[in-house]
Amino acid sequence: MSMGTFDEEGARQALSALADGELAGADGAAACAAWSADAAARRDWHAWHLIGDVLRSEDLASDPGADLQFCVAVRARLAVEPVVLAPMQRRNVGVTGSANGPRARSGRWMFGSAAAAGFVLVAGTFAVLRTVDTPASVPLALAGGGAASTAARVPAPASAVVLAEAAPGDAVIADQRLIRDAQLDRYLVAHKQFAGTSALGVPSVFLRSATVDSASR
Amino acid sequence: MFLRAVAPLTLAWAALALGAPACAQAAAATPAPPSEVRAWLLRIHDAASRRNFQGTFVVSGGGNVASARIAHFCEGPNQYERIESLDGRQRKVYRHNDVVQTVWPLSHVAMIEQRGMLSSFPALLQAGDDGIAEWYEVRAEGSERVAGHEANVLAIRPRDGLRYGYRLWADRASGLLLRAEVIGERGDVLETSAFSDVVIGIRPQPDSVTRAMRRLDGFRVVNPVLTPTRLEAEGWTMRQLAPGFRQVSCVSRQIEAPDDPASPQPAVIQSIYSDGLTYVSVFIEPFQAERHPKAMFAAMGATSTLAQRQGDWWVTIVGDTPPATLKMFAAALERRKP
Repeated sequence: MSMGTFDEEGARQALSALADGELAGADGAAACAAWSADAAARRDWHAWHLIGDVLRSEDLASDPGADLQFCVAVRARLAVEPVVLAPMQRRNVGVTGSANGPRARSGRWMFGSAAAAGFVLVAGTFAVLRTVDTPASVPLALAGGGAASTAARVPAPASAVVLAEAAPGDAVIADQRLIRDAQLDRYLVAHKQFAGTSALGVPSVFLRSATVDSASR
Repeated sequence: MFLRAVAPLTLAWAALALGAPACAQAAAATPAPPSEVRAWLLRIHDAASRRNFQGTFVVSGGGNVASARIAHFCEGPNQYERIESLDGRQRKVYRHNDVVQTVWPLSHVAMIEQRGMLSSFPALLQAGDDGIAEWYEVRAEGSERVAGHEANVLAIRPRDGLRYGYRLWADRASGLLLRAEVIGERGDVLETSAFSDVVIGIRPQPDSVTRAMRRLDGFRVVNPVLTPTRLEAEGWTMRQLAPGFRQVSCVSRQIEAPDDPASPQPAVIQSIYSDGLTYVSVFIEPFQAERHPKAMFAAMGATSTLAQRQGDWWVTIVGDTPPATLKMFAAALERRKP
């Protein structure tokens, strides 16, 4: 958790791996801690995600400051939230005992808020994932305009479930890093120019490709 | 090696696809003879081209829903179409025969495309062989009401595990397709598209489309280019096609957004295959480590995507088929020229 163990480049690499969902366990926790403590790392983190979003669709472009402010506000609210302390207390007793004292607690605190901010980002990822997820139908159309609000209103898990079931009995690599990739969308658009469940006749072919907004505008 | 791995799966899926629905539908009519299948599908296709209609179309899949207004006019040999998306970013698509113009009013960009290849579908139907009936079993399943119209229901079931099933609702009077579902291997609905309301037999107003297509003042116009090519000429060969599929087109093209600030990327080869009902696209491009991080497979709604490296190349296969079909294409693709 201490920043001192990371040199700057290592920390950036860890953060990058975290953004790609490749960091788990203690490494993930360490990267989260670094993220929450270091303003520069936070800036990178938001910039990367914003780049990913904009690559996916211009409609996802937003003021990076807004995310930051939101996270800061969440952290601030958590900091004054008494309820949070109660579950912490229990975990202390149950898992590690209460021997670690205030220092450990403050460390856990950092992790807690980082995790909270992380959740916000996971939610964001779902929003993006959902927009890709409609190749069947209508991806970017939904992302258009109020991407965040539209995506947020629809319950997210459906797409994740589909991905998990993707190929029965087979090695499935459906990882979010690729789902976020604007490239994938372009293949889908190019494919759907021809495809469409073509028995439906010409108009529906066009509907499918028309409802699949190309990344090109 | 790939094929061997796929074969048992295919059999299992075939059993699933044929077995389960067969039980459920034991009482239904016997499968239609091939000539009748072709007649049904042609009627649906003709209605979509030759009727004048206007309505709201809703497409849903993978938990998302989006709708569009569509107007279709036919005057003599000419077809006109206007589609306006009702969700998200404003976007209008106009079509006059093969010319498709997509307009984004807010960003003042218009994309004009020639889509001559679309004619390949009726060609597949009219070719005289009964490919569709060979790979799909089609049954009439009575009638239902859709969007205020009496509709005949057609159940299209795949005969193997390499394609999905469909359920189609066609207007009894005109043949126009009112609703369509893509059915997965377990009988689940992967995708639905349907008119929520539609008026058939309206007065054609082609001017409204052609006028709009000429209104390009202040728009930046983008013309994507598709260059016809052959897989062999590009140094590739498809050793063995998935059963029922044949190549319908092969082009060299850009798939980047026309206004992408990134440096121009090498052209991508897109080879397109169809079994008469569904399509598979095989994309081939030079491998670039920074653009092609790692192999992946994703199934989303009715569309699956497989991407992997093959030597110095990156191959992406997209199709509205089960994963096994894409894997067969991937395994059969071979580099002939070093």
